[in-house]
Amino acid sequence: MTLSAMLLWMLLAPLVGAVAIAVSPRHLAKHIGLASSLVVLFLSIVFAVQFPAWTTGAFVPDTNVFPDGVVSLTGVTFTLGVDSVSLLLILLTTFLTPLALWGSYTAIEGREREFYGWFLTLLSAMLLAFMARDVIAFYVGYEFTIVPMLFLIAIFGGDDRKYASLKFFVFTFVGSVITLAALVYVASKSAEATKVWDFSLSALQAHAKTLSPKEQFWVFVALMVGFCVKVPFFPVHTWLPLAHTQAPTAGSVILAGTLLKLGTYGVYRIALPMAPNAAVETVGFLAILCVIAVVAISLVCCAQTDMKKLVAYSSVAHMGVCMLGMLSLNPLGMNGSILYMINHGLSTGALFLCIGFMYERYHTKDMDQLSGLAKVMPIWAFFVVFFTMTSVGLPGLNGFVSEFLCLMGAFAATTHTDSGFPGLLGPKWMIVAGVGSLIFGAVYMLYMVGRVVWGPLKAPGHGDDHGHGAVAAVGHAGGHGAGQGAASGAGSSSTTAAGPKHDDSAAGGHGHRLPTDLSAREIAILAPLAVICLVIGIHPYPLLDVITPSTKATLAGYPEAVRDFDATRESRGELATAPALPADAPTTPAATDASTALGSNLGVIAR
Amino acid sequence: MTTVLPSLASGLASVALAASDAVVSPADPRLVQVALVISVLLFVIGLIGFLTRRNMIMMFLCTELMLQAACIAFVTFGRMHMNASGQVFVIFILTVAAAEAALALGLVVLLYRKRETLSSEAWAELKE
Amino acid sequence: MTHLATLFPSLPSALAGDGDAHGTAHRAAEGAAAAATWIGGATAHPEYSWAGWILLLPLLSAVFCFLCGAFRVKNKLPALVTIAALGSAFGLVLTLYLKYDPTHASGPMTVHLFDWIRVVWGEKPGQSFVADWSLYIDGLTLFWMLFVTGLGTLIAIFASEYMESDVGGNYCRFFGAVGIFLFAMGSLVMGGNLALLYLGWEGVGVASYLLIGYYYGKPTAVAAAKKAFVMNRVGDLGLLVGIYLTWRHFGSIDYATIFKACSETIANGSHGGDWTKGLIPYFLMLGAFGKSAQIPLFTWLPDAMEGPTPVSALIHAATMVTAGVYLIARLYPLFLLHPHALHTVAWIGGLTAFLAATIGMMQYDMKRVFAYSTVSQLGYMFLGLGVGTTFGACYHVFTHAFFKALLFLASGAVMHGFAGQLDIRKISGLRNVPGFKIVAWTMLIGCLWLSALPFTAAFFSKDTILLVAMTDESHGNRILAWLGLLTALMTAYYTFRVWFRVCGGETAYQPGDEAHGHDDHGHDADHGHGHGHSHGHAADAHGFHPHAPRFAINGVLLLLAVGAILAGLPGLIEFLKMGPNWAAEMIAASSATIGVPNLTEGLAGGHAEHAHHATVLGMDGHTAMFLLSTVAGFGGIAIAAYYHLVRRRAAETLKQALLANPLIGWLPRALENKWYVDELYDALFRYPIVVFGGHVLAWIDRYILDGGIINGIARIPAWIGRLFQPLYNGLLQGYAITMVGGIGLILAWIVYVWMKGGI
Repeated sequence: MTLSAMLLWMLLAPLVGAVAIAVSPRHLAKHIGLASSLVVLFLSIVFAVQFPAWTTGAFVPDTNVFPDGVVSLTGVTFTLGVDSVSLLLILLTTFLTPLALWGSYTAIEGREREFYGWFLTLLSAMLLAFMARDVIAFYVGYEFTIVPMLFLIAIFGGDDRKYASLKFFVFTFVGSVITLAALVYVASKSAEATKVWDFSLSALQAHAKTLSPKEQFWVFVALMVGFCVKVPFFPVHTWLPLAHTQAPTAGSVILAGTLLKLGTYGVYRIALPMAPNAAVETVGFLAILCVIAVVAISLVCCAQTDMKKLVAYSSVAHMGVCMLGMLSLNPLGMNGSILYMINHGLSTGALFLCIGFMYERYHTKDMDQLSGLAKVMPIWAFFVVFFTMTSVGLPGLNGFVSEFLCLMGAFAATTHTDSGFPGLLGPKWMIVAGVGSLIFGAVYMLYMVGRVVWGPLKAPGHGDDHGHGAVAAVGHAGGHGAGQGAASGAGSSSTTAAGPKHDDSAAGGHGHRLPTDLSAREIAILAPLAVICLVIGIHPYPLLDVITPSTKATLAGYPEAVRDFDATRESRGELATAPALPADAPTTPAATDASTALGSNLGVIAR
Repeated sequence: MTTVLPSLASGLASVALAASDAVVSPADPRLVQVALVISVLLFVIGLIGFLTRRNMIMMFLCTELMLQAACIAFVTFGRMHMNASGQVFVIFILTVAAAEAALALGLVVLLYRKRETLSSEAWAELKE
Repeated sequence: MTHLATLFPSLPSALAGDGDAHGTAHRAAEGAAAAATWIGGATAHPEYSWAGWILLLPLLSAVFCFLCGAFRVKNKLPALVTIAALGSAFGLVLTLYLKYDPTHASGPMTVHLFDWIRVVWGEKPGQSFVADWSLYIDGLTLFWMLFVTGLGTLIAIFASEYMESDVGGNYCRFFGAVGIFLFAMGSLVMGGNLALLYLGWEGVGVASYLLIGYYYGKPTAVAAAKKAFVMNRVGDLGLLVGIYLTWRHFGSIDYATIFKACSETIANGSHGGDWTKGLIPYFLMLGAFGKSAQIPLFTWLPDAMEGPTPVSALIHAATMVTAGVYLIARLYPLFLLHPHALHTVAWIGGLTAFLAATIGMMQYDMKRVFAYSTVSQLGYMFLGLGVGTTFGACYHVFTHAFFKALLFLASGAVMHGFAGQLDIRKISGLRNVPGFKIVAWTMLIGCLWLSALPFTAAFFSKDTILLVAMTDESHGNRILAWLGLLTALMTAYYTFRVWFRVCGGETAYQPGDEAHGHDDHGHDADHGHGHGHSHGHAADAHGFHPHAPRFAINGVLLLLAVGAILAGLPGLIEFLKMGPNWAAEMIAASSATIGVPNLTEGLAGGHAEHAHHATVLGMDGHTAMFLLSTVAGFGGIAIAAYYHLVRRRAAETLKQALLANPLIGWLPRALENKWYVDELYDALFRYPIVVFGGHVLAWIDRYILDGGIINGIARIPAWIGRLFQPLYNGLLQGYAITMVGGIGLILAWIVYVWMKGGI
């Protein structure tokens, strides 16, 4: 199979699966769903193994998969091509989807065909967005993700699902329509100049640079509007906590794991290379939004009582760090940012899975009603603490590498550096974001763990901590394993000690008898995530190595743009610092003389 | 009206001529003018009828009238450009109109059965 | 280089280039040259890559323990595996030391294990960021690793008995966390670059978090764990910024590169760089203060005593909290980048020592007294670093590790035996309780050592620090030395207050409320473990039988007592002028020597050399300090003996008298409440920022941002729609008229344009 055929099949396999689900009996739906997502995973792994451009930064195969004329509406082509970054995100998607689907085996009861069918459609749409080299094809994938997600939230969500799904849809839709307008504008301008309609990304990016500065600015702003909603940036994030809270577990996993990355991917792949000169003008403003997201939203997290809402808000804060790394406009921060996308997908997705598994047992996510679950669910507690630690950026786990690089990148993003990639942020951004991320990030995550995992046991259906009856029974089953296997322990707790008020708890509400602690299936879902988190944390070099060529390509126009912008600012007298050295002045970092680059950079702190 | 009526007469004559001779020749501008005027008149009659009458069958007939006005315009322009697509469309419209008529009359009958009246005022559920 | 001269004006500072200091220019210059070549010549030794197992073994044992937990292993297997792994790690460190003796080697060695974080985007310096898994091994590394792994093994043995009531899931969790801790501590100490140090730094933090929160059923333990983690994170932020600045200025975060550059600049007499380079030590020091519980980040350590006692001994007394000292000693050259950096360290250390000692005098919880004494002793170490005796500081770390671990384990044995009783008012005469003889007498050794009586190990190490501080007239170091002596008096007092109360006097005791255990691990009455009759109140004390320690606990206590005694040998040998000081040699063969005048002066001499030309109170410095320390130590013990052994009532009377005095009555209250620092931090930071800020921001986010602005914008189309609502009356004709009207408008517009000739 050629590479392009393989890509095409990765898009088609889920759709085939969805059709198969539609025509098969209801009880087979989940198996077909899982099987087709595994097929896609297999295909993506085979593709990754054969992928020839890991270290070149090129797009492969970058060809129109259909012969000319089959799908060709005035310049729109179905060109697929991936570079290392796209491929990593594709792998993330294909890896998370089977886990999310498998994790839904007991969670989704009723209307399974719709659930698994829409989920596979969602997979296909996401993959299209990551593969497309044509902006219209990209947009189709990008936009079409909303539809399955809408149904997943609106049908399978929580109590407030109608409002949440409406908000999700309108918010992201309005944003991305503006993005489309910008893309079409550039395409029409390009068509005016060349007399040929061409929607290919490379052509548009090439042409965008010839637009007037004012046009570039507005094109960039319009592009960012859509992507910012998806990321989500600070003032337009309010759909996310709602959507996350109401979505079913698998929906939350994919929403946090991959859908948000469409936003950052859009910024990285489309917006930033499109208009460097416009981007540098807005970097300062966008960085303010990032930092507000990191600090203020971290504090907002501290006030949450719903676990999913807390993790959802934490996503906003984390994506703030991720975007700050990207806006630092140097390979350090941008590599960190790309890695952050992957790591955030893994750790937050896993946290949502953990919360979902707990929710299946206790039917609440309210931290006021839960406490000390480590006693009855030690394995679950292990995973929660583990993924919390990846989330707060414990070195040795994956979160650290990316957070560290993002913050370092932001720090190094000053106008005069010998790194060859000047940026416009600088130390104050890094320090403020660091305060939010390192300190407040630890506060709220540990607050959640402290409330739910540790503490005296309290759970609906397990009695309060004063009564020794239920607590003791469950405590022996979970903590000591006295019941010879967790399943029987849970059974006894819900029948003998629990009494009538236990009818919908502890052992799973409807039909499925879930053990007190995680079942083998659930462990098998979380364990690969944990292993990958650990591996990336200990040996991220292969990833960083393949990301670098791609980030260098994205950053191609930036050193110049930043220097131009800096020169303009200086001529306007906006920079009050000492006369700057030329960016490529021969400075040896080991023993520099006085007033090297950093002097003016740290001058930023002083200002 | 003074200019329209003579041209209408001569236009009708040329139509007859064309039909009898079966000679394919560029359309007479007067013919086009006359045919379009007829089309507009038909359409306006249909429109006014649709807006003023409350009887659903009458309203339906008025829509048919407007459809036929469109058909005349199609044929006219087809003749003007000397190609057959106008006529093709008309055939198409006639087919659709036939199906539509069947459907619409059936609906009218159903609606009548529900409310025992043909007045469209009996149905205002779309009101917000 | 003038920095150095201002730093150590009383010391021979030929390093600084002004050879007139004390006429010992040539010697110091030789020393500097030796240090420079020693450090500059870091060589790669791939054949030593087996040293990576020192890190890997504890990690593997941690993984094994967690797996045991998952498979519900219900025996002592996790403990055995952990002991074996830690013991092997200790053996490996010992082997490493024997095969590679830093005091005789030509320089430090580096061992590259594998790549970690590596972003390379250009050829030039500054265009790459590399942090690999590599080891940097010199005297300081081995010195630290020897006692870290050695004590780790001993404490694991102790814990195997101490934690036996938890055998089952929690037992595995405990030893898993201990394994993680040893791995992280190993990376911290042996890591070859700052990122790896940061990894260890946070890793020990997380192990500490897990172990403080070990009895997670107790809300106080959970809160203490969180507090420790968050306060450490404040310091970690400083460390992160410090790492960045180091990378920025040196183009690398590898020790080998940094030290080479530092040695060169010191030798050349110029630091170069701009003022931001001078910020490096301040940021790094913030990290050190967080981890080593110094002002302003010290309040987490006493709370950390919520953890099991072996953990308090290992992490919160002997090893982890000394990481700050290690950081400064390791990066000593960087602390010379700003003239006042080390003075800040000295003052913070001195003040912390004093402050913690004052609090320690008024606590009744045995472990808390020792916790404050740990903070206080750490303060001494920072004082030592600040006044320029890295040897004194590191040696004090070494000696302190033994006797403090001993004290904690002894109090742990008491706690174990008396169902969690820690209140020194409720146990008395332990020396006569059957089975507790070893505990009582080894505890006495620990107390003597902590009081730094003459010829104990701590005497040598602490006096090195105080002597150097005393003989240095700059920047108030002499004030700090007197403060340190006062602190020594208080230390002796509160230490022996504990011992006299607990071990002296009549035999009487009340059991505790089984603080370790309770309902966390099914230790309830119906569960019936060995000493499960634990819910005893004071009333049924007569039915209570202390649970005497057995082989593992007693054995480890004895071993630690021997270790504490032996730890004084290097100091004693030097004191008697019998030979070179092993500890000083080890420290000298490391980066902690770069720019330290009194060490480079002569490896064997140590502090003794430079003390020659300094006098204290008109006497030779050594003699004076010997006398002063002796007076302080015995004075403190005498006061403690009077109030807590001879006339215990008197202590209470004195306290009441103080409290009744309106002028001074606030003092005991403030001391008992730890100077209200926790309350202050809560009022200043926690409530305003986290609680108030969080809730207000959440309210703004929900009702103003989302409810007001976002939903407000969404309502605009609805309002516009409402304007035209009357058109939609539900009648078919109404819609048709609207449509026709629309068409009419469009036509009118077309006609209008046509009339204007637009078409």
